[in-house]
This record gives sequence, C-alpha cells and structure tokens, in this order.
Amino acid sequence: MITLNDLLVMVPELYLTAAACFVLLFDVFINDDQRDATHWVAIIVMLVGIFLVVHGQPDTTATAFGGMFVRDRMAEILKVTVLIATILMYVMARPWLRDRQLFMGEFYSLSMFSVLGVMLLVSAGNLITVYLGLELFALPAYALVALNRESKLSSEAAIKFFVLGSLASGLILFGMSLIYGATGTLDLHGIFAAAGTTTHPHLLQFGLVFLVVGIGFEFGAVPFHMWLPDVYEGAPTPIAMYISAVPKLAAVGLAYRLLEVGMGPFADDWRIMLAIMAALSLVVGNVVAIAQKNLKRMLAYSTISHMGFVFLGLANPTPEGYSAALFYAVCFALMETVAFGVILALARKGFECEMIDDLKGLNRRSPWFAGMMAIAMFSLAGIPPLWGFIAKVLVLKAAIDGGMLWLAIVAIICSIIGLFYYLRVIWVMYFEQPAEGVEPLQAKPDLALRGLLSINALGLVAMIFFSGPLLAWCRAAFGG
Amino acid sequence: MGIAASAAGPEALAWIVRMMPYGWISTAILLLPFTVALATPLIGRGNRRRTTWLMTGTAGVCLVLATLLFPAIADGEVLRQTFAWAPGLGLEFTLRVDGLTWLFLILVSGIGLLVGIYATYYMPPEYPLVRFFSLLLGFMGAMLGIVLSGNVIQLVFFWELTSLFSFLLIGYWHHGKSARDAARTALIVTVTGGLCLLAGVLVLAHITGSYDVDAILAAGGRIRASPLYLPALVLILLGAFTKSAQVPFHFWLPQAMSAPTPVSAYLHSATMVKAGVFLLLRFWPVLAGTEPWFWIVGGVGLATMLVGAWAATFQHDMKAILAYSTISHLGLITMLAGLGSTLGVVAAIFHTVNHATFKASMFMAVGAVDHETGTRDLRRLGGLRHVMPITATLAVIAGAAMAGVPLLNGFLSKEMFFAVALGANHGLVLDTLTVLVAVAAAALGVTYSLRLVGGAFFGPLRHDYPREPHEPPRWMRFPIGILALACLAVGIFPAWVVGPLLRAAALSVLGPQLPPYNLALWHGLTMPMLMSVIAFVAGCVLYVLGRRRIAARDDAPLIGWTSALHGFERVLAFLTTTLPDLQQRVFPSRKLQVQLLLVVLLAGVFGFLAVQPPPAPVAMHGMHVDPAFALLWLLGIACAIGAATQAKFQRMAALILTAGTGLVVCITFVWLSAPDLAVTQLVVESITTVLLLLGLRWLPKRIRELAPLSPVARYHRVRDAVVAIGIGVGLASLAYAVMNHLVADSASRFYLEQALPGGGGRNVVNVILVDFRAMDTLGEITVLSVVALTVFALLWRFRPAAESIGAPRARGSTPGQAEPHTDRDPRAWADQLAIPGFLILLIAPVIALFALHLFLRGHDLPGGGFVAGISVTMTLIVLYMAAGARWVEARLKVAPARWIGAGLLLAIASGLAAVVLGDPFLTAYHGHWTLPVLGDVPYNSALLFDFGVFAVVSGASALMLVVLAHQSLRRVVPAPDAVRDAGEAES
Repeated sequence: MITLNDLLVMVPELYLTAAACFVLLFDVFINDDQRDATHWVAIIVMLVGIFLVVHGQPDTTATAFGGMFVRDRMAEILKVTVLIATILMYVMARPWLRDRQLFMGEFYSLSMFSVLGVMLLVSAGNLITVYLGLELFALPAYALVALNRESKLSSEAAIKFFVLGSLASGLILFGMSLIYGATGTLDLHGIFAAAGTTTHPHLLQFGLVFLVVGIGFEFGAVPFHMWLPDVYEGAPTPIAMYISAVPKLAAVGLAYRLLEVGMGPFADDWRIMLAIMAALSLVVGNVVAIAQKNLKRMLAYSTISHMGFVFLGLANPTPEGYSAALFYAVCFALMETVAFGVILALARKGFECEMIDDLKGLNRRSPWFAGMMAIAMFSLAGIPPLWGFIAKVLVLKAAIDGGMLWLAIVAIICSIIGLFYYLRVIWVMYFEQPAEGVEPLQAKPDLALRGLLSINALGLVAMIFFSGPLLAWCRAAFGG
Repeated sequence: MGIAASAAGPEALAWIVRMMPYGWISTAILLLPFTVALATPLIGRGNRRRTTWLMTGTAGVCLVLATLLFPAIADGEVLRQTFAWAPGLGLEFTLRVDGLTWLFLILVSGIGLLVGIYATYYMPPEYPLVRFFSLLLGFMGAMLGIVLSGNVIQLVFFWELTSLFSFLLIGYWHHGKSARDAARTALIVTVTGGLCLLAGVLVLAHITGSYDVDAILAAGGRIRASPLYLPALVLILLGAFTKSAQVPFHFWLPQAMSAPTPVSAYLHSATMVKAGVFLLLRFWPVLAGTEPWFWIVGGVGLATMLVGAWAATFQHDMKAILAYSTISHLGLITMLAGLGSTLGVVAAIFHTVNHATFKASMFMAVGAVDHETGTRDLRRLGGLRHVMPITATLAVIAGAAMAGVPLLNGFLSKEMFFAVALGANHGLVLDTLTVLVAVAAAALGVTYSLRLVGGAFFGPLRHDYPREPHEPPRWMRFPIGILALACLAVGIFPAWVVGPLLRAAALSVLGPQLPPYNLALWHGLTMPMLMSVIAFVAGCVLYVLGRRRIAARDDAPLIGWTSALHGFERVLAFLTTTLPDLQQRVFPSRKLQVQLLLVVLLAGVFGFLAVQPPPAPVAMHGMHVDPAFALLWLLGIACAIGAATQAKFQRMAALILTAGTGLVVCITFVWLSAPDLAVTQLVVESITTVLLLLGLRWLPKRIRELAPLSPVARYHRVRDAVVAIGIGVGLASLAYAVMNHLVADSASRFYLEQALPGGGGRNVVNVILVDFRAMDTLGEITVLSVVALTVFALLWRFRPAAESIGAPRARGSTPGQAEPHTDRDPRAWADQLAIPGFLILLIAPVIALFALHLFLRGHDLPGGGFVAGISVTMTLIVLYMAAGARWVEARLKVAPARWIGAGLLLAIASGLAAVVLGDPFLTAYHGHWTLPVLGDVPYNSALLFDFGVFAVVSGASALMLVVLAHQSLRRVVPAPDAVRDAGEAES
C-alpha cells in the first residue's frame, strides 16, 4: 500500500511531474510572443525543485515503495547538479533558440520529463525503477535532439541516438533479466545478497556484462561511444549541452546503483571491465579529439576521454573511489556548461560558431568570452588553478589507491595528449587572426546568458579553494 | 655560525624567533604577488612608473619579509602554517619554510626585484607593461608557492601554475610565430612533466598515507622499500627533468628564448628551471641513495651537462649560447644530486645559487647588447667595449664566473663539483668517466664564455649595427651590476656571504648527515685545482684554435640527433594526424549499421569473455519432442526465413509469411496448454497483420534488383547473416539456460492459489489483470488511450508521399473513378472482393457476438476484456475492408474516441466505488446472487473494470485502424472531414 511516507520521500519527483505537466499545459495557453513566461516559469520550477531536494527532507537515507525508491546523499548531489545544469541550459539556450525559431514550449516540458527520469534513475533501489528512470530520461532526450526538424543533421543524430539508445537499453534489460533469472529478485539489495551466496556465478557474470555495456553506453565510454560525436554535432547546441552534462551524472548514479549496490560481490569482475573501458576511452577520446575541426565534435571526444576519468574513480570500489567519480562528474558537468555556453553566446542567427576556426582571434573581438573559453579549456585539461585539477587529482588518487597504477599512468599520458586540442582552442583564440568577413559576436549577447556564464566560469576558478564542502558532501554520500 | 646569532646572543635570538609572527609572514609572501598581480591591471593601467613600482615594490617587500624569516630556520628548523583546504581529501594548505625554501625565497624575490627594474627599461615603450608585470608577478607568486608548499598536491598545483605563466610570458610577443611555437612547446613539455609529477606524488602519498611533505620526508625508508618506489621515482624525475630541461627534454629551453630577455633571465635561468632541481633536493632524503636514483639522475645529469656545453659552444645567437649553457649547468646540478653523496647536495645547492646569479646577470647583459645594437648574432657583433664600457666590464665579470675563473663564485662551486666527482666511488670506469666529462664540460664552458664575451665586446668595433649602440640607461645596468657584485662577493668571501645560507639550506636537506666542507678561496694545490687548470687551459686553446671553424658552422656537430626537437615534432605530427586518422579508420563512427554491429559484437565478446569457462551445456535429457510439433516448428522457421529473404522486395509476401510464423507460435501455445495466451496471440497477430498491411501501401515502391551484388555487398550480407544467426542462437540458448537454471520462489504460486478464493475467477491471467494488478492495468489502458489519440493526431492530416500514390493500383482497382456520392464504394463490390465481401457482412455480427462471449467468460475461461476488445475491432476492420469506409460509416456510428473515454471513466469509477464502500481503490467484490429464474449466478465487480478495459482496447485499436483506413479516402477527397467525423462524433 502507498503510505504517506512513500509520497513524502518522493516529494521532489512528484513535484516535478506535476510541474512538468503544468508547464506543458501552461504553454498551450499562451501566444508565441509570450514564450518568455514559460521560460521563467520553467526556471522557477527548477529552482523550487532544488529547494525541495535539499530542504524539507530528513538528513538520513530514506526509502519508499518497499525499497523501489531510495533517497540518499548521492542521489541528492546528483539531483541538485542535474537541476543546476538544466537551469544553466535554460538560461543559455534562450537567445539561441529564439534566433532559430525553436523557442517552443516542448523544449521545456521535454527537458523536464527527461530530468525527472534522471532523478528517478539515480534514486532507484530496484531494477524496474532503474529501467523506468533510464527510459524516462532517454525518450524525451531523443525528441530533444530532433527538436530542429528542419535540420537533416539533427534528425540523423536523433535517429542514431534513438536506435543505439534503444539497443543499449535492450542490452541492459537483457542483463537485468538474466540477473533476475539467476537471483529471483529485482531488488538491488536482494540481488546483492543473492549474488554473494550464489553457486552459479556464470549467469550473473553474463548478465553483469550487459549491465556494464549499458552503463558504458550511457557514459559514452569506448567502445560504446559512437553515438556521442554524432549527437553532439547534430543536436541543437543547447541540447548538446544537456546531453553532455546530465546523462553523465545519471550514469554515475546508474553505475553505483547497479554495480555497487546490486552487483557488489562481483566487484572484481566489473572493475576490470570498467578499467578496460576507462583506458580505451582515454586513448580513443583524446587521440581522435585532436583530429576534429568541429568544436562540438571535439568536445564530444573530449567528453569520451573524461568518462575514462570518471571510470578511474569507479574502478576503485571504495567510498573514496565513488566520491571521486561523483565529484568528477559534477565538476565535468559544470565545465561543459561553460564550454557550450560560450558557443551559445557566440552563435547568432545564421552562424553557429561550431568550428574551431570560428573562434579565430576571439581575444581581439571579445576578450571576456575568450577568457571564459580559456578557463573552460584549461579546466578540462586539468591545469591549475582550475577546478578540473582537483577533480583529476581525486580520480588519479582513487586509481592509485585502488592498485591500478597502470591505469593512472595511462590517464596521465592521455591527458598530455589531450592537452594538444585544448591548447589548440586557446591558440586559435589568442594567437590567430580572425577569419575574413566573420564578425561572430552578437550585437548584444543576452544579459542573463553573459552573467550566468561568467559566474559559471569564475566558479571553476573559485572552486579550487572551496571544493572542501562539496568533497565532504560527496564523501559522506558513500559513508566515507 | 649565523651572523644574527653571533651579534645578538642566543637568548635574544630565541626571543625574536618566539615573538615574530612567522606563519603570517610566509602567508604574506605567498599572497602578496598574487594580489598585486590581480590589482596591477586596475591600478597600473596607462602608468608605466606606477606599474614598475608595483612590481619592484612587491618583489622588494617579499625579499624583506623572507629575510626576516632567517633566524627562525637558520639551524635546520621548519616553520609551518596550515590552513584548511579540502578536508575531505585530507588536504591542508600548508606553508612550510626551511633552509632550502628560504634560499629559494631569496633567489626568487631578489632576482624578481632586479628583473623588474631591468624590464622597465628594457621593454619597448609601446608595449604595455601592465600585462607583462602582472604575469611576471603571477609567476613569482607561483614560484614562491612551489618552494613554500608543505604538501605535495599544493606543490604540483603551483608547479603547473608556473608552467602556465611561463606559457603566457613566452607567448608575450605572440605576433611572432617563433614565440607562439615556443610557448606551446614549453607548455606541453612542462605540463607533461607536471602531470607525471602529480602521479608520482600521488604514489608517494599512497605509500605513506599522507600528502604532507614532512610526513613523506619522515618515511624515506618505507618509500625506498616499497614495490612502488621505482614508478614513483620515475614519475617524479620526469617532472623534475622536464622542468629543468634535462636531456632528452631539453629542447624547449633554447626555443623559449624567443621570450623577452627579462623573462629568459628570470624564468629560464634563475628560477623556474631551478624548480626541477628544487624538487630533486626536496625529495633527496627520501628518494636518493638507491641504484635507480644514481643511474637515472646521475646519468641524465652527466649527459645533459655534456650535451648542453657542446651545443652551447657552437651557437651564434648569444641567448642560445646562454640557453645551452643553462642546460649544461642544470645538468651539472642534477648530476651532483644524483651521485648520492652528501657533499654533492651541498655543492648542488651552492651551484644553484651561483648559477642563478651569474646567469641572470649574463642574460641581462646580453639583453642590453640586443637592446642597444638590435642584434644578438655573434657574427655580427664585436668591439662593443668601446661604446658600452660599463656593460662590457660587468659582462666580463659574469662571463668569468660562468667560466669558473678564480675569485668568482662559479669557481668555488666548480671546485666543489670536481671534489665530489673525484670522491665518487662507483667503480673505476665510471669514476674516470665522471671526472673526464666534468673536465670536458668545464673546458667547453670556458670556450663558450670566451666566445660570448670576446665575440661581443672585444675585437674591432663594427659600424654596421642596425642601431647606433651606446651605454644602456643607468637603471638597466644597475641590476647587472648588483649581480656581478654578488658574484665577486661570494667568490672572494664565501664563508661570510653565503656560509650561513648554504649551511641552513644543506641542513634542511641533509639534517644530521651534513658533511664537513670548507668554503675557502684557496684549498692549496689539490686535485680539483689541477682539474680546473687543465679545463681552463683546454678551453682557451679550443677557443683560440677553433673559433673560426666554429663561426663557420651553423649547428653543433655530432649531436644533431640529440636535438630532440625534431623527435618532439615527429611525435606531435604522429599524435595530431597519423594516429587520429588511423583510429578514425578503425572506428568508423558515421554509419549507424557499423555502429550497431560493433556494439552488438563487442557486447557479445565481453559477455563471452566474462563467462570463462563457459557455462556447462544444458542437459537435454528428458525432452521428448513430438514429431508433429517438430514439423510445426519447421513450418514456422521456414515462414520466418522466407519472410526475412523476401522482406526487401516482396513486402506483401513477407508479411503473410510473418503471419504464418505468428500462427505457429499460437499453435505452440495451444500445444503447451496455454489457451488464453493462444487466443490473445491469435487476435493480436491478426490485427497486427492488418495494421501492417494498411501501412504497407504508403511505403515507396522498391525497384527490383538493378545490378548483381558486388563482392563487398555479398560479404556484408554474409557477415550480417552470421552475426544475426549467432545472436539468435546465443539468445535462445541463454533464455533456455535461464529457464532451466533456477526455480526462484516466484510470485506465480500465490496467484495460482489465490485466484479463485481471492479473485473469484479461474482464469488466473484475467484475475491478475483485473483484480490483483488492476492498478497496473489501469495505467496501461491510460497509456493505450494516449497512444491511440497520438496516432490519430499524427495521421489525420497525413498526406501520402507522391511516390506512393500509385501503389494501390497494383490491387487492380481504379481509384480515380471513385464517386463520392455513391453510397456504397463501387470498388469494393465491383471487383474480386464481391463474394468475400458479402460473406464478411454475414460473418461480422457473429464475430461481434463471439467477442461478447469472450468477454463474459473471461474471468473463468480463456478470454477477457483485452481479447474481446480486439475482436470487436476486427469485426469493424473486416467491415471496412469489405465494404469501404463510406459504406460502413453511413450505417454504423463509429466513434472510437467516445469508447476510449467511456472505458477509462468506467474503469476508474469501478475502482472508486470501492473507495466509497470504504475499501482501497480498485478492490473487487464477488459472490453469488440467487435469481428467480436463472438460479445461482456468480457476480464479480471486476467485470465492470474489465468492461472498461474492453471499451478502451476496442476504441483505441479501432481509432488507429480507422485513421489508417481513411488514408484511401483522402486521396480521392482531399478534405479530411471524413476522418474527423470518424474520430470525433457520429453526428
């Protein structure tokens, strides 16, 4: 039976469900030129969502619906970050969408449902909830990628995303059913208990592989990364920003729930799989990124390589490892918003600012945006005094403490390779002349965009000194 | 021994040490440069003088503050000041001052002060000093940060920061391509080293369990005994070697000379490149003294010393000579640290100070020459002592110190170096080699110093300078003079001038191991003295004999291949073009098919690898296959294969064959005693086929094979077939394995036992659907309704694509002749459908009646709302097919949307009724009524719910099928009225 407690534990999710429906309906009853109202309502909805996640909840872990839904610190951190990233996307996307006649209500309601899926996913205590969250996240995301129906590239990206995404969730589902078949339960804690005492580990191992494959797909880790560059390139830039930040956070939750909470007794098996994927992601992501001329594609490969870093943390199944991975994912999401934010700020009607060459001589035209981009790039490269450095230290430490020195060294070598392409962006912005006839700066970039982007970017600098609380929070999330 | 101690007495000194707020002084030293660096652009903009004051003032204050710290650390003490940074990481921001740190503090801030003064006059007026000094201050802060770091992460943090500032400072003149390239090379090399260092210190932290420098220094034995010692050592050394430009990473330093000369003097000779040396000395107590340390550090130092000196001899650009000379001296210091003797450490520290002094002054003198004449090419210079005598004098002093002439500081540390080399004890061959290389490098040092000073300042005065040279401004000579004076002072009164500093620094590294050493000008006629003389004479001879030949060469002989720059560029090219290209070819990421294939295959491979050894083959015993059943399945398989092969060109045939497979599945269900499943499967199968058939006509026509298959296409086909079969077989066997694997205590027993007593029905599936899990069913029918409405919304304005317009012709009808006013669609009656159509009209009511039957008996026997709903839709659809949409709609009031609404409302109402009666939502009631005529009649409130299901299912499927069926009307009558009618109301 549903009890009041069940509902209370789920208040943020229930609220967001209602709010998303409200926004959907609200938008129906306004004119196209009043769309700003939807925009602000959506932002307020998200802000209230953050409030509900952080406040009004007991400080301990709580479960609802017989363990189907778990509300704990990790979920809390991920939810807050996802909501923040979504707000950033809303604010930064508005001018871009408006210039392209894509400023529609669907954008807001679809993204809210997708966020809801992520919130459900990271709070899952049961395979069914995991799958539900995964699909609820993915389906609106497919539609969002295809938001620009006029663009062939966009449709192509959406189709690829959809087909491969369906395949991946099919694989996860297959893995889940194998695990269910072997353990007779869908509850993650039940699976943990059953897996610990099983006498037939093969079936479970086989199922585990498919879970890991699905997780790898969600992260965009090599060799399941192929959708990522196409989607980044084809999706409308704000959606690419969303796809770059939010699913990765969700994937950390997914990996923790499925692998640690569920398949913990098989940690030795999945660590190796994650380590292999980490190494491959690092190598492929960084090396291929160098060859890219399209900024969004480059960021896609850079994302792939960063997922390798997240795996570095996950491959050490201790509170330290998980908190490092969580910290890295949070940090990464907020670095990506800066990089995409600059792209959004520089784009204007008829000009996408998608190629690296579009940034040529940016420092001359707009030193401020060039600075923001430089901060993002150096932070992604993990160079002090930026936030990415701390995150990198954490995951490297996790890998070394987990006895995977070889992986840490691979990561080091790969981040050196990664330096090349981050540096190229900086190079182009600072050391090259603007291309002929290009004047890629909006007459007046949106104030909210500028302001938030600046705060976001300067936050990357400030966080080097103030990551203590977040780190403590992450550590506490895993009982460390 | 300390000056302060002898003057004030130990008590007074102790009192001062107690009273001084040392922690805050070190904090101030670190914060001041960064703060001013940030403030400079605001305060100093447009005002050169104020900017200069900010720079020099900051450096000066830092210098004074650092001096104040000396009494506290003079005898090997350590000052610590700690702030919270990232407690979760066990990380504190610690400022740690000991003798070695102090020495570097003085070097960094002192030379920073002088460089600041120099740069003000050196930098052309048109260049904004604000940015330059801001960066320089930032660099100074980062460098102070490195030496003050009390934990290793903090050290790496500032380490990388210096790389970043070095990048920005080299790129200061970013209009020049050489500066940009140099900046990039330097950044890549040094940041690479920094990352290696990061990994290295993380390994150290892993071994010791702490990031704190003091904790690590205290754990030397544990670290050296650890199996991770070698990786940690190599990683840390990579950091040190890249920063200190050791072979083979030395190539970035000569390139970096395209930076403005003050930057070269400050970063690339006096301070930043010394960070590597600092690191070696800092961790000397922990890492040194082992075989790997000796071989790697000593070997690399030796090679660097020789290569640097040899290359320096053959340069023509004065700054290039200084750059290679710097490399050589850094190699010397590295080698001293690498030999592992304690005296070597003292010598290394001593030479670090000396080199910083004479090399910085030499750089500034060269900068003055460049500034005045406009060239740095030795082949175009000469006789400058006539026009700039003071500069020439200072340059001679600095050059002599570089060459190791007595009475100057370079001589003393060189003597000490020779002594260390002679004292080494690593076997005869190695010791001899060390001594020989030491003498050779010293001799080359004499040669290039002579070339540098002699070539520029001596000889006949030339008159073809790009600019008219004269003495540089007084304040430009001042820093050179100060440093030259320091060279002299140290050279003549070593024990007085640097004795205490050197002792404090060496004490902080060596502690009680501090060896006896003698800082005196004259040790008597010793072996090192003899080596000095030999080196000096050899150097002079080489200069006199070889100067013309050297001047004629463009590069250094023998070591061209060591110019690792080419290798670096090759690596760059490989990484930036070859490798990505290769990878993109291996990982084609554009084609969806390939991506799918890869994902599936990789998942399979991973899965296979995970299950090693593979699971035991499933036992096949106890399986008796009925031949008839096998035959049936053979038929089904044949249908499926037929469908697969025909799917490309004969869609219709493929569809029918698919339906055949479906039929076999239905029969299988019957065979396996699952009649309810079979019934459901049957109706679903039929309706799906109809749905597909209706959709089929709107697909574009396929053109039958144009050309024979190419080998590649055939290969692809075979490959895909193999993959598909493999996956099919794999999944089937897996599913079988799972089914046989374990009988979990599943929920089914509960339902089987409780269906009749708890739900009042014998059809367990139906009872589950409408009673036990009615909530789920309610959700499902809601979704179904939404889907149906969505399909309707999407399709009701749909216009078929132009290329599919002709498709129905194949059926033999002539759509253009449709007459909208006839009541009955003539097409349907006129052609071959006449008789079946008539029969259908007769059968339709029977089907409808059967649907009702299925519904009513559903709770006890196979059937139920879902199956009944679909059956009703089938009634409707056969009518549509037989008689045409117009005919049906004129006679039947088809309003599927209302059915959906009514069904949903009914389902909810039946649930709410339970709430009204005080039970939970959707509780069902069952029992028996005794009716007058019929007798005992069972009743079940779940039937109402089931009726809701029935209405929703029939309405939804009808809505979808009808909107599809109306496509044919649309072609004839453009207006979508008919469809809207069908969807909304019958009126």
